[in-house]
Amino acid sequence: MFSVLSYGRLVARAVLGGLSQTDPRAGGGGGGDYLLVTAGCGFGKDFRKGLLKKGACYGDDACFVARHRSADVLGVADGVGGWRDYGVDPSQFSGTLMRTCERLVKEGRFVPSNPIGILITSYCELLQNKVPLLGSSTACIVVLDRTSHRLHTANLGDSGFVVVRGGEVVHRSDEQQHYFNTPFQLSVAPPEAEGVVLSDSPDAADSTSFDVQLGDIILTELKKLKNSNYESIQQTARSIAEQAHELAYDPNYMSPFWQSGMNQRGAEPELQGAQSGERRQGCHSNCKRKQRFRRCRVTSLYLYF
Amino acid sequence: MSPVFPMLTVLTMFYYICLRRRARTATRGEMMNSHRTIESNSRTSPLNAEVVQYAKEVVDFSSHYGNENSMSYTMWNLAGVPNVFPSSGDFTQTAVFRTYGTWWDQCPSASLPFRRTPPNFQSQDYVELTFEQQVYPTAVHVLETYHPGAVIRILACSANPYSPNPPAEVRWEILWSERPTKVNASQARQFKPCIKQINFPTNLIRLEVNSSLLDYYTELDAVVLHGVKDKPVLSHKTSLIDMNDIEDDAYEEKDGCRMDSLNKKFSSAVLGEGPNNGYFDKLPYELIQLILNHLTLPDLCRLAQTCKLLSQHCCDPLQYIHLNLQPYWAKLDDTSLEFLQSRCTLVQWLNLSWTGNRGFISVAGFSRFLKVCGSELVRLELSCSHFLNETCLEVISEMCPNLQALNLSSCDKLPPQAFNHIAKLCSLKRLVLYRTKVEQTALLSILNFCSELQHLSLGSCVMIEDYDVIASMIGAKCKKLRTLDLWRCKNITENGIAELASGCPLLEELDLGWCPTLQSSTGCFTRLARQLPNLQKLFLTANRSVCDTDIDELACNCTRLQQLDILGTRMVSPASLRKLLESCKDLSLLDVSFCSQIDNRAVLELNASFPKVFIKKSFTQ
Repeated sequence: MFSVLSYGRLVARAVLGGLSQTDPRAGGGGGGDYLLVTAGCGFGKDFRKGLLKKGACYGDDACFVARHRSADVLGVADGVGGWRDYGVDPSQFSGTLMRTCERLVKEGRFVPSNPIGILITSYCELLQNKVPLLGSSTACIVVLDRTSHRLHTANLGDSGFVVVRGGEVVHRSDEQQHYFNTPFQLSVAPPEAEGVVLSDSPDAADSTSFDVQLGDIILTELKKLKNSNYESIQQTARSIAEQAHELAYDPNYMSPFWQSGMNQRGAEPELQGAQSGERRQGCHSNCKRKQRFRRCRVTSLYLYF
Repeated sequence: MSPVFPMLTVLTMFYYICLRRRARTATRGEMMNSHRTIESNSRTSPLNAEVVQYAKEVVDFSSHYGNENSMSYTMWNLAGVPNVFPSSGDFTQTAVFRTYGTWWDQCPSASLPFRRTPPNFQSQDYVELTFEQQVYPTAVHVLETYHPGAVIRILACSANPYSPNPPAEVRWEILWSERPTKVNASQARQFKPCIKQINFPTNLIRLEVNSSLLDYYTELDAVVLHGVKDKPVLSHKTSLIDMNDIEDDAYEEKDGCRMDSLNKKFSSAVLGEGPNNGYFDKLPYELIQLILNHLTLPDLCRLAQTCKLLSQHCCDPLQYIHLNLQPYWAKLDDTSLEFLQSRCTLVQWLNLSWTGNRGFISVAGFSRFLKVCGSELVRLELSCSHFLNETCLEVISEMCPNLQALNLSSCDKLPPQAFNHIAKLCSLKRLVLYRTKVEQTALLSILNFCSELQHLSLGSCVMIEDYDVIASMIGAKCKKLRTLDLWRCKNITENGIAELASGCPLLEELDLGWCPTLQSSTGCFTRLARQLPNLQKLFLTANRSVCDTDIDELACNCTRLQQLDILGTRMVSPASLRKLLESCKDLSLLDVSFCSQIDNRAVLELNASFPKVFIKKSFTQ
């Protein structure tokens, strides 16, 4: 297995960067809307490091994060690799599914309390593409309703999510499998293989809803690693959470994102004079922003293996 | 005399000459610039800063390629920020109209054009967009991402769709208009026409398009409206001197009405049986009628005001057998209909498509008109006429017993129960219900009673539950059917196709595009080919199961085929297409976009052997 600690550090950075970057708008109005702060990291099967990118594909798997007025949504899809044997690129289906979900959310064509609806609509939209798509994937959608502070989830297949609160797992999704190593999956099959290729309806997804609290960490993952070191992963999650909490409350912490911002400003010599005042202000306002966050932050990370 | 005096005179003269020259140039300059926005207006004061907006909402449109409630290839993609621009290609996130080129004018379901259509009205489709804020527009940019060049007219409306009070007066003003021109490149472009200045603020823009010169579907990504909040300073001058108004055929019927009544008073009082009409009135009556046949409607109304003889000719109902009011949709209202009523007792073809929206025509006004004009009516076009309701359809069914063609395309606000009245029109030969909310029972009733139907369009009729039942009814009752549009009929299966194929052997045109439940393995396409030898147009767009066997059957049996669309199938090879092209000599359109076995090289080879065929291969970059 790869070094969990170095990996953890990488993720920790990304998480903290996310915290200072996020829009403080939602922070006002004490105890109001919740906010999802996200970070993602993935490794394709060839173990190349992947950094956080929205709607990114890691190997055959894909993810997305999208924000709307009423909710934050994230999703993962595990492309079924077996299609490669038939000359079909497995990442095309999962990638298109996730991009379509992202577009749906951004345009507001969803109901926060109905994440299965997002899957259904997205699957139908996939079929509206002129390009003949082929492939299959699992899917997991997590919707944070900002105002009601509830998390709505839909899970089809063996990907899923875990909610960690105070170092303890409080929620975990159930796996959906037909038989060993054959999870529930959305698919589009070639016409000659209809009926032979497993194709589950998006309605078959499991759906749950529960309240979340500030500081909860949501991990969406692509395969349950029962036999592998799940314990060590849980430990990593715990240590990341602790580190994240600590550094977020530290007003003097200079996150890597804020640092790079400073360097950019420093590069314009003619504005230097005006900048120093701003810089100090910038530092101050960043801290203020972080403090405001304290009241309304739910952290999520997603790890891929 | 002091030397000052001559100097003063010279200076005054000099000053006077300069002033005059400046005044003259200003006037001339404005006359030249009437088609362009005045440069000085762009130097707006800091308080009158320019506002740039993307469209907030798409409120109305005449057609689109995509499914209702979808976000793929639908008109709703035109709102908001661009999704794709500046990339070029065939993307799902763009707005696409239903048709392109002249293909739909060449197929068996094409209807004849109306006589007396003004040559400067070429619009085929439209889309109306709203913006957040009302501004005086300074520019309208259209982001086109595929096969640009369709936009031919841009209009602005004075009504604010978001204001709670209905507007006192609704005016449409043409910001820009041009004949369709061929754009050579098919890449994305930001279309920036020079628009006219108007003297009212607007947040409702309408684009009219004509796709007849395009090689493939045009795709639009976004529309940007530049404007200023406060009225620009020189605007009142430019609106006075405007070349557009002089040539504009958007005629004001209201003026004609008032003038006509005035004229009547004059003619009875002043013009007697004068001896001096020249030789003109020696021409036979029919010849004068024939000459007047070439005038457009506004010219005919204007001519009626010139003298008693011409007034008699111009008001003769024989001039109004074909009445095309669609070009005048922006100004046509109840008063205009009332004015024309007396002349329209013999009207046979009436085109009220696009008219009457936003309160221009009322149900009462339309009913009154039809009561006078309906008895001889044979063809009635009411596409996108959103003022229609159930009462109107009832009036049509009662007043137009001889109606043979009815077009209700995109009348999506008509309630389902309104369609029940159509069953009373037993002579119907053509019925277009594209994008309407017709329900199964009403449609079955129509099919039961209208056994003369030859052309039927049920494209995107989403409220029909079971298309197999519909197809079976068509097969049983509509034996004379020649063209059938089942575009996006979501659940038709091989059973429905079997009934159609056996019941309607005269079918020449069948559109089964985007019908996902048809599977080639059931043999439905083979059956179609064998039982419909007269097929000229067959669309199997996005049916992923079309295979070589089906193409071979078409090649053997449907030799009259002219248009074939097999977009998106993986199972057709170049060899079977070659056989098809050899066998079907009349084939002129073949769409093989997104067919994975047909690559660009194969298309080039086929084109080389069969140069008269337009082989379309679209792509997503």
